[in-house]
Amino acid sequence: MSEKRTILVIEDEHAISNFICRALSANDYKAIPAASGKEGLSLFFSHSPDLVLLDLGLPDMDGLEVLSQLSGLPRETPVIIISARDRESEKVKALDMGADDYVVKPFGVSELLARIRTTLRRADRMKVSQGIQRSVYQVKDLTIDIAKHQVIQAGEQVHFTQNEFKILELLAIHAGKVLTYDFILEHVWGPYSSNSNNQILRVNMANIRRKLHENPSAPKYIYTELGIGYRMLED
Amino acid sequence: MSLPSHIRSLWLRCRDLLYRIPNPPRDILVTAVLLCGAYCASSILISHTGGENNSALVFVLAVTIISSLTTGYFYGILASIVGTFCINIYFMEPYATFTLNRTGYPVAMLSMVAISCVVCALTTRVKQQAAEAIRREKNTKTLYEINQKLNEEKAAIQLESARETIRGNILRAVSHDLRTPLTAISGAASVLLGSPEISEKNLSMLQDIKSDADALIIMVENLLSVTRIQDGSMPLKKREEMLEEVAGDAILTTRRRFPGVHVELELSEDILYLPMEPLLVKQVMVNLLENAIRHSGDREHITLHLFRQDDWAVVEVRDRGKGLSPEICQAVQSGKPLNRDLSGDATRGMGIGLSVCQSIIKAHNGFFAADNNPEGGAVFRFGLPMEEKSDE
Repeated sequence: MSEKRTILVIEDEHAISNFICRALSANDYKAIPAASGKEGLSLFFSHSPDLVLLDLGLPDMDGLEVLSQLSGLPRETPVIIISARDRESEKVKALDMGADDYVVKPFGVSELLARIRTTLRRADRMKVSQGIQRSVYQVKDLTIDIAKHQVIQAGEQVHFTQNEFKILELLAIHAGKVLTYDFILEHVWGPYSSNSNNQILRVNMANIRRKLHENPSAPKYIYTELGIGYRMLED
Repeated sequence: MSLPSHIRSLWLRCRDLLYRIPNPPRDILVTAVLLCGAYCASSILISHTGGENNSALVFVLAVTIISSLTTGYFYGILASIVGTFCINIYFMEPYATFTLNRTGYPVAMLSMVAISCVVCALTTRVKQQAAEAIRREKNTKTLYEINQKLNEEKAAIQLESARETIRGNILRAVSHDLRTPLTAISGAASVLLGSPEISEKNLSMLQDIKSDADALIIMVENLLSVTRIQDGSMPLKKREEMLEEVAGDAILTTRRRFPGVHVELELSEDILYLPMEPLLVKQVMVNLLENAIRHSGDREHITLHLFRQDDWAVVEVRDRGKGLSPEICQAVQSGKPLNRDLSGDATRGMGIGLSVCQSIIKAHNGFFAADNNPEGGAVFRFGLPMEEKSDE
């Protein structure tokens, strides 16, 4: 794409905002800094960026409030949350409210850039597919065929239980996006799943990992977002 | 000391002595002594004055004193009846005979009994009221003391909770105020590292800035955790977590910080799903891995091994480096805070790193041990209970 992608950086700490913007422009993005929630919202409407980086701890308004105003719009703009380490519930809330991804302070530049790339690619793919679901997903040597209800790894079929397959399917459809435990629970076990299902989900995931010979310290297909949820690598 | 106060103290002493005698004998003794006294006094008076009216007054006085010193009405009334007969027999003509023949005698006797009884009743009532007043005063005093103690405790609790709030606020402020600029320093350094117009000389300095900022970030996290746990002001936020996911995250973090180092995760066949505060347990793993990387001299064979042993989920960090001195093994095992000399080269606060591990593991009711591998290298091992103890 010849045109530079625009990224709105809503962050009140000047030093952080500064290095993020420098890193973005060094990597061929157009960065727009905003130091407060109000400024961020007005810049959002005047520039319609391709992606928003949003710090949850803003001085003038709650970051979640900003997020809810951004995510209610017809033209969906992906949002990556910047949050402090010890605010897990806040992150989960933001993801459930429609944020695409998050980075935790202190974060590194390469990590941030990788997340931005992933999120933008995913957004582009969504735009192209126009919401039409594919029936086959491919991640590296793993093929998930939803129509045939089949998983093939390096040419070999791997057998999964009903729920394990449903989890894989859900992760594949949303590949690249962090899915919270609650989101997965609701889509696999239904809206009334209780807390004890969390354990079932986690055990299912451990089994999926064992069947795919996936080591959580070197994930090939599924990333663990500790305390938050899971994400499948996009193809 | 004046005379009246002398008498008073003498009287008080006598009364104390008297009250030391157990009760029925005491009352009998008091009654007998006072009646004898009244008899003697009347005998003396009658020999000097010759009149018989005085004796009645003397006996009424005796009855009054008896009823004030004894419990209940019984002894007072007994004394008044005995006294009346005594007067009739010894102090009225004809002496030494009981007679009711003289005019006015029955009336005098009855009124004497009646007066004595009334005096006795009044005295007893006054006594009861006094006792009641003393009891009430005691109750009030006890109540007051309890109240005061409660107030003191309440104030202490309020002070403690206020202190905790302040402590929490300071911790949050420190964590925010240190993390944010450190993130900015590290981030700015890495942006500059990626830019093409940096000379070779400046490049190495920038690398130092970045790695020092990253080390400081880790240290701030360590310090925050250790203050949080050691002063016990904030309880652990435990929840059930998959140990292999925590371990995977710890290794990813370590690899990001030490890109050239080879770190492996060996999984257990068992599913280790147990209560913990995941970020703290991850911190223990990160610290142990960093310790191995920095101090073992081995950067190729560092492994993190997970397995289940009885009711424990065990994590081992192994290296093939130079191994540990017996002092370090012992210090880790004993659970005593490690001093800086023992942790060898104390740069980057590795002493802090290991004592953070100790505190976190202790707060999880786990065990922590260090050993040398017979095949060479060091093993740091910690275990966390699979089930939460019921007493918590």
